[in-house]
Parts: sequence; structure tokens; C-alpha cells
Amino acid sequence: MRALSRLTALLAAALLALVGAGYPVGASGPAIGDPASPVGHQATTPIQHFIFAMQGDRSFDNYFGTFPGADGIPAATCQEYVAGHPKKGCVKPFLLNPALPGAPVAGATVINRQWNNGKMDQFVSAFRAQGRDGSTAMGHYDAAQLPFYWNAAREYVLFDSFFSSSRSGPTHNRSYWVAARDQTVTISPTSADPGRPTIFDRLQTAGVSWKFYVQNYRSKETYRSASATDPASQPGRVPLLNIGRFIDDQELNSHIVDLGQYYADLSAGTLPSVAYIATSSATERTARSVVSGQNLMRNMTTQLMLSRYWSSSALLLSYDGPGGWFDHVAPPQVDADGYGLRVPALLLSPYAVKGQVNHTVLDYTSALTFIEKNWQLAPLTARDALAKSIAGGFDFTSPARPPAILHGTNGEPPPAVLRAPAAARAVFSAYGASVVLVVLVLLVAGLMPSAQLRWRMRRMRWRMRRQKHRRIGWRIRRRGAHSAARWRPSRLAPQPDDRLAESLR
Amino acid sequence: MNPAAAPALPRPAGPGPPVERPVPRSRRIFLPGLPFLAVVVLATFLRFWQLDRIGFNSDEAVYTGTAAALAGNEQLGAVFPIFRAHPVLFQMLLSFFVRGEVSDWSARALPAAIGVATVALTYLLAVRLYGRSVALIGASILAAMLYHVVVSRQVLLDGLMTLCATAVLYCIVRYSETESMRWLAAAGALMGATILAKETSVVLLGAIFAYFALTPTIRLRPRAVAFAVLAMGLVVAAYPLALVISGHVGSGQSYLLWQLFRRSNHPLGFYLSVVPAAVGYVVMLSALGGLIWLRAENGWRERLLMGWLIVPIAFFTIWPVKGYQYLLPTAPVLAVLAGRTIFRLSVTRRFARRGRLSRIVRLLTAGVVVVSVLLPTWITINAEPAGTVLAGTGGVPGGREAGIWLRDNVPDGSQVLTIGPSMANILQFYSHRGARSLSVSSNPQSRNPSYTPVLNPDLAVRSGEFQYLVWDTYTASRTKFFADRLDRLLTHYHGQQVYPRPETSGLDISHRNGPVVVYQVGPS
Repeated sequence: MRALSRLTALLAAALLALVGAGYPVGASGPAIGDPASPVGHQATTPIQHFIFAMQGDRSFDNYFGTFPGADGIPAATCQEYVAGHPKKGCVKPFLLNPALPGAPVAGATVINRQWNNGKMDQFVSAFRAQGRDGSTAMGHYDAAQLPFYWNAAREYVLFDSFFSSSRSGPTHNRSYWVAARDQTVTISPTSADPGRPTIFDRLQTAGVSWKFYVQNYRSKETYRSASATDPASQPGRVPLLNIGRFIDDQELNSHIVDLGQYYADLSAGTLPSVAYIATSSATERTARSVVSGQNLMRNMTTQLMLSRYWSSSALLLSYDGPGGWFDHVAPPQVDADGYGLRVPALLLSPYAVKGQVNHTVLDYTSALTFIEKNWQLAPLTARDALAKSIAGGFDFTSPARPPAILHGTNGEPPPAVLRAPAAARAVFSAYGASVVLVVLVLLVAGLMPSAQLRWRMRRMRWRMRRQKHRRIGWRIRRRGAHSAARWRPSRLAPQPDDRLAESLR
Repeated sequence: MNPAAAPALPRPAGPGPPVERPVPRSRRIFLPGLPFLAVVVLATFLRFWQLDRIGFNSDEAVYTGTAAALAGNEQLGAVFPIFRAHPVLFQMLLSFFVRGEVSDWSARALPAAIGVATVALTYLLAVRLYGRSVALIGASILAAMLYHVVVSRQVLLDGLMTLCATAVLYCIVRYSETESMRWLAAAGALMGATILAKETSVVLLGAIFAYFALTPTIRLRPRAVAFAVLAMGLVVAAYPLALVISGHVGSGQSYLLWQLFRRSNHPLGFYLSVVPAAVGYVVMLSALGGLIWLRAENGWRERLLMGWLIVPIAFFTIWPVKGYQYLLPTAPVLAVLAGRTIFRLSVTRRFARRGRLSRIVRLLTAGVVVVSVLLPTWITINAEPAGTVLAGTGGVPGGREAGIWLRDNVPDGSQVLTIGPSMANILQFYSHRGARSLSVSSNPQSRNPSYTPVLNPDLAVRSGEFQYLVWDTYTASRTKFFADRLDRLLTHYHGQQVYPRPETSGLDISHRNGPVVVYQVGPS
């Protein structure tokens, strides 16, 4: 019996030591480890729920090129119409407001030409080589059009060295998103299952819960019925629908659900440990869908903040390629395929460093690295094994920040609020002067007897006249000095009520 | 030698002439002041007793919010603009009470103190008009009057307006007695302050005009009038001046237009149905009956007081926009007139020669009248909060509690959608969260310029602009149409009751377990 209790004590001490060796968690912080996760694969950080949303193609400079503190558009930027011919003119970056032209739409050929072995000098001419006007590529947004994203960047973490994984286009990048490799080459309606693991295979094997939320999900639309390389199609946006086992295996397929389930899961308390989100009508590929995409992301973030999961979750938002939009930073070359050009990436979490612009070089596989380390999973490929994690955006030494709803309006305070101190000063000056005036008049009326007042005024007037006459050498007679004696207090005869009141006092 | 140890002197033996001991000076001053002191204590007690039992109503929230904004409170300043529908003299004074922490009690203490000051000033006015006995009865009636007590216990502009208006009356009485220019100038300056307290008091100028026009025995010298008008103009100039300096002239104009053309909010007989009960039927009967009964003695005093009653009552009865508290400046006048009648009851021929009997009758009559107004007042200020309340008669039950719950439990930046703007104001004040309402008209001519309409509530909720929907008994009982609309939004967007704790799981809009219910909604 004594041996048993000693063993229990030892086990408890060991458990405490293990927990203590992890991350210091404040009294209000969540307990480390998802109780729903199996032993050995519990979360090693307070992040027990990781959500990764992927939107359409946008470059970093296109969305945050003028964000304060970020590596944005250089001042002297001007992209030549025809590469190597500066005399033919160039296009400077311009604000996409109020004109919102259609997206440039760029495939692998255009993107590689724009990249030009890291020279980054053919963002306009790459389109002109195809007979298109590439001026649009130099357009960029700011806080006025992207209020939610800019508010999120001000409040949480904005990565300004987050690169797309490949220069081959959106569907290839989405492949890296889930598998840390480009496996779109193997996809065809007749091809066999590539068999290479994705992050969801790892999670499934480890028993860590996961879901893939798809906006307007149509379960029948897979690579067998639609183009897997078209970024607008469902298989193009949801890489799992290009892999046979995720279509045919009911267990695996049941994890791919409609986005509406995300809200239901938040409400019902069934949010999985890892969730991926792919949108359809709100991808932000087109100018029009920028608004709807931003609204959707705001809604998803807001609902996460209102749910029980906020204090133990993180949401990473990124874009599946530059889409032909200008970006001035040459990507580092890590292998034959990438990196691709920079894309926007925002990390929202109660543990995200407030208002940080993070300069760590990352790509989509950096999120996979974080998932693998957090849930103690093996890396998928050399890419994610070598990639730096997004963990630098977190500060686990501080307690979880309480949620603050981010608005879809510009974060600047309204003019009325800005003018409040001036208005208060105006009120205190004007009304204060009025109050002083009333008090003075009352003092004069109540405290100074009228005869005295009248006498003083006459004396003052007489003095002024005397001084004036002295100046011009006249002699005058003093007048009005005895006027006070002629003063009568009241000419009103006492009224019946006065007499009655006096008699009864 | 120690005087304490000295032997007592023997008393003089046998009867002698009574020795008149001189009354000490302190007692000569103190004793007659005792009844007045008792009246002030009564007024203070009734106005401060459980002052913050119920939370603010919409107007209180707005005025306190404005005062806090003036005091530099950034949170409330972001929600409550300084310039709204009224001048801000009261709000400026209140801003000194809400520096630092803003509490219901500290905000309501100022109007309550102003109410007590009005009782004291009414006493001074009545002393000037009819002597100390009438003044005591009149001040006692006002101290206990439901109408004045209820309005004084709220953060409203009408209390300060009534104090200033009573001071104007006092100055006019002094001018009528002395024809001294300084009293007319003081009346002018105070009239300016009355208008700065609340612009609707400008109708009292009509009462002043009527008084001087109908009382030729009081000479109105042009120079005195000029000084009075100048004083009033200089004081009132603060209102446009502050707007011009801070660049808010436009907002002032839009409020004026809205006030002039807004829809009628009460029927023509509103005041007839509400005010007599609030003032007290006995008081009304005494005041008005006395004017008829003692008509032979009516003079300039009664003409002045009658004008002070008739002009605002006539104006606000015809004016489409009516508020419970708008006629408060008539309360001191009614109290003084009632005091006059009650006093005269005891000095009729039957009692006049019997001094002691007369005094007893006077005391009894005054006591009965004061108790008749005191009882409903006491019952009202101690009554359990009802779900539906008339605007201006007190706080809105449940609003403060719901607002504090929102402040403590929902994330910063959350947006709340209510049925009507009154509850939105209350929730904004207590929760520091943004709130808008369904019933605000999209037509700029039909809405208060302070409010922003929700043009498409369905889209707004669907796109996540609002995270919480709030239903309240107070507004739902006034506008069923918008209450039903809120219910439809709750049904469409998966409303989940989060405050108070729901009795059953799932949405149940047929049974609500509180005067204010908060629901969380999400996109479908």
C-alpha cells in the first residue's frame, strides 16, 4: 500500500515536472494539452485549435504595400512597360481606389517571367508580352479598402516575409498547403491515388481531430468530375478532393464539410484541433470578392472570438499565390520550385504578439511545421522539416489576451471623437463665461444697495468728466454729489396681502 | 476661587414680578429657522433616498455620457457626442461630478441637490410674496411633491431649468417691489441661464411679457429692459458660440429642424392626464381653487404666477412633442399658490380671532395636504420596478444590469442591435459597446440626428455587423412592429439567449425571463 502511494506521488511529480518544463501558463490561461487528443499527441503549446484559411491569389505589396512598419513598396518603384527599354515608359504603383479593375489573372508563365530569376522587373511587361495591358498589376490597396485586414494587422501579427511555396500557380501552392509538396502532377481522372501523406493523414493516424471546411461545399465535385488545375473549381481549391482516398474512404471524407459547420462546431463545442478553410465565392481573386472575402473572414474571426475556443486557438490567413500583382521582394531559392513570391499572411490569436510585423522568412509549410511540432507529428517532406515555424508570432509567456472584435471599418477614430477635446474647451469657455456673467449680475443685484450703486456710478462719471476738463483747463462745478439723498427705496404702496401677512407674522 | 465650587445663591423668597430673560441671539435666529430646516431635510431625504436603486433611462444615459465626454472620458466620448439636441449648461456642471469614475449616484446627486435648492428658493420666493407661513407650507408641498421629487431624482435638464426659472420669478418679484434696474437685469441674466439649461424654457418669456403687459402699475423702463435683454443675450450667446468655436453649427441646425418638425409623441390631453396626479389633486385644487376663491385679493403677484402657469401649459399642450417633465417649472408656482390658499383657510373670519385655534387649523390643513403628496411620493420611490414606464418618470428596469453584463462578458468592439434607440443609449452607456436600433427611421427628417439607422438589418446581422440582439419590455410594449422584427432576426440567425441565463435550451421567444434579454446571433 505504501509502495503504491509512493508510486502515485512519483507519477504526479513527474507529470508536474513535464508540465512545468513546457510553457508558463497564467492563472487565466488554458491547460496545456487538448483533452480530446490522444496521449502522446497533445498540444505542446496553449494553442489547442489551429485554423488555417486560404484565400485567392494576392501579393503582399498588393494588400499591405503601404502598411506602416512592413517591408512595403519602395518609393522609387516604377515597372517598365517593356523590360530593358526604360525609354518606353514605366508604371508606378497606384492606389486601387475608387477604380477597382479586374484581377490581372496570372499563371505560372507570367509569374516566372515577373520573377525573372529574382530581378522582379517584369510585372507589367510579362503581361504585355502576352498582348495584355499589365498596368493593373501595379495597383495596391490600403486601409480604406481593407479595413478589417489592416485592423487585424494593427492588433495581431502581420508576416511580411511570408512567401508562397511555389511559382507554379494557385493549385500547386494549395498542394504545398496540405502536403508540403507539389503533387498536382500526379492528378488525372484515371490516375491512382498518389499515396503520399498529407498533414491530415498524419493527424488522422495520431488521432488528432481535424476538419476541412469548404464554402458552398458540393460533395460530388471532385477531381473526377471537375478540373483539378482550375483554381476556381472545387478540387482546385480543396486539394484533398484530388486524392482518391479522401473521396472514397467514408471516414476520411466525413471530415470535409461545408463552412456552415464551422459556426455550428463553434457553437456546439465540437471545433477540431486542426481546421483548414477554403472559400469559393469569397476567395478575393476578383476586385468584387475582396469585400465579401473580407466580410467572411471578419465573420469567422468574430465568431471564433465569441466562442469558448478563443483562448486556446489561432487563426492563420494566407493567399495561394501572388496572382500577377506586383511585389518587390525577390523570394529565396530553397529548391527548384520555390519559394514563390510574397503573399499576405495574418496570424490572429490571443497569444499573438500585439501589432507585430514579423520579418521571419516563412512559407505555407511553416504552418505545417507548427502543426507538426504542436501535436508531435513527423514532418511530411524536407520542405516542412527545414522550414521555420510561425511560432515566432506567438508570445506564450503572457496570458491570453481577451478578445476584441475587429471592425470592417477604418480603425481611425471618427472626426467627432477627434474633435471632442476642442468641443469640450469651447463649451467650458463659452458656458463658463455665461455662468460667471450670471453670478456677477446676481452679486450686483443682491449685494450692492441700489443707492450706493447709483451714487458710485455718478461719482465715477463726475470724476471722468473732471479729468477730461482738467486736461483742457476748464473749471466746473461739482454736480450730482448729493443725488443719493434723493433716492427712494420703492414707490409701490404696500398691498393688502402685505399688510395681512405682516399682521399674521 | 473656583466658581464651580461656590455655594449656590439662595432663591428670593415669595412671589415677585416675572423676570424677562433676554433670548440669546443665536436662539432668536435659530428657532424660526427650524421649520425651514425641517423642510430642507425632508426635501433632501426624498431626493437622495435610494437614489441609484434603478439604473438610468435613455435621457439620463445621454446627458451623463455627454458630461463624461466633456470631462475627458474617451470611452463614453466615443459613443456620446457633446453636441446633441440641447444646450449643455447642465452637462457642463455635471462634468465636474463625473470626473474619474462615472457612477449613477454621483451623476444623480447634482440634480437631486438642484431639487433641494429649488425648494429653498421657492421658500424665499413665497416669503417675498406672501410671508413666512405661506412659504413654509409651499416649500413643504414642493419638497414632498411627486412630480418634483421624481424629476429631481433623474439626470435631466428640467431640474436646473426649474431652479433658474424660479430664480427669474424671484428677481421679477424684486423688480416689481423696487423697480430697480439691477433686479430686471438679474432676471434677464437668469432667463438666459434658464434657456441654456433647456431651450424649451424660452416659452417663459411669453409669461414675462404677459405679466408686464397686463400690469401697468409696474413701470417698465426702457433702459432696464435694454439691460435685461442684453444680459440675457450675452448669457444665451454661449450656446451658438460654443457651436461655432467647435465647428458644430450644422449639427445644431439639424437638431433644431428635427425638433420643429418631428412627429407628435403624445395626445393633446397628455398633461391633463398625467400632471395633476403627479402634482397631487389636493395641491392642484388648492392652487387653482384659491385663485378663484381669493379673486378679490388677486393682484400683480397672482398675475405673475398665473402667467407662469398658463403660458407653458398652453404652449406644451399645443406643441406636438410632449415630455412628462416639461411642465416642471410650474411646480414651484403651484406649491406657492396652494400654500397661499391653505394658509388663508385658517385665517378666515371664523378662526381669525382665535389665534391658537387658527394655528391648529393651519397646521392640520397643511399637514394633511403635505401628507397627501408625501404618501404617493414615498410609495413611488420605493416601488418595485415595473416593466413598462412612462419616459421621464424614472429609470428603466433591467437596462443597467444588462449593460453591465455586456461590459463584463462580451468582447470589446461587439455591436448590439436593440429594438429602439432608448435601450441602445442605456446599453452604450453601461457596456461601452456600440449599439444601434431597428426602429431608427431611414428618413433623415424623421429621426434624431444623433442616431444612425440600420438600413438593412437582415444583411447587417448576416454579414456579422451585429453579434448581439437585445429585446426589452420597455420598448417592446411601445412598438410591437419592431419587436416582431427583432424576433424574426432571432429566428433566422440562430439566436441563443445569453442573458439572463436561459431557463430552457434553445430559442424561446414566447417566454422571456427578464425585462431585458440578450441573444447572441451568428451568420447562417
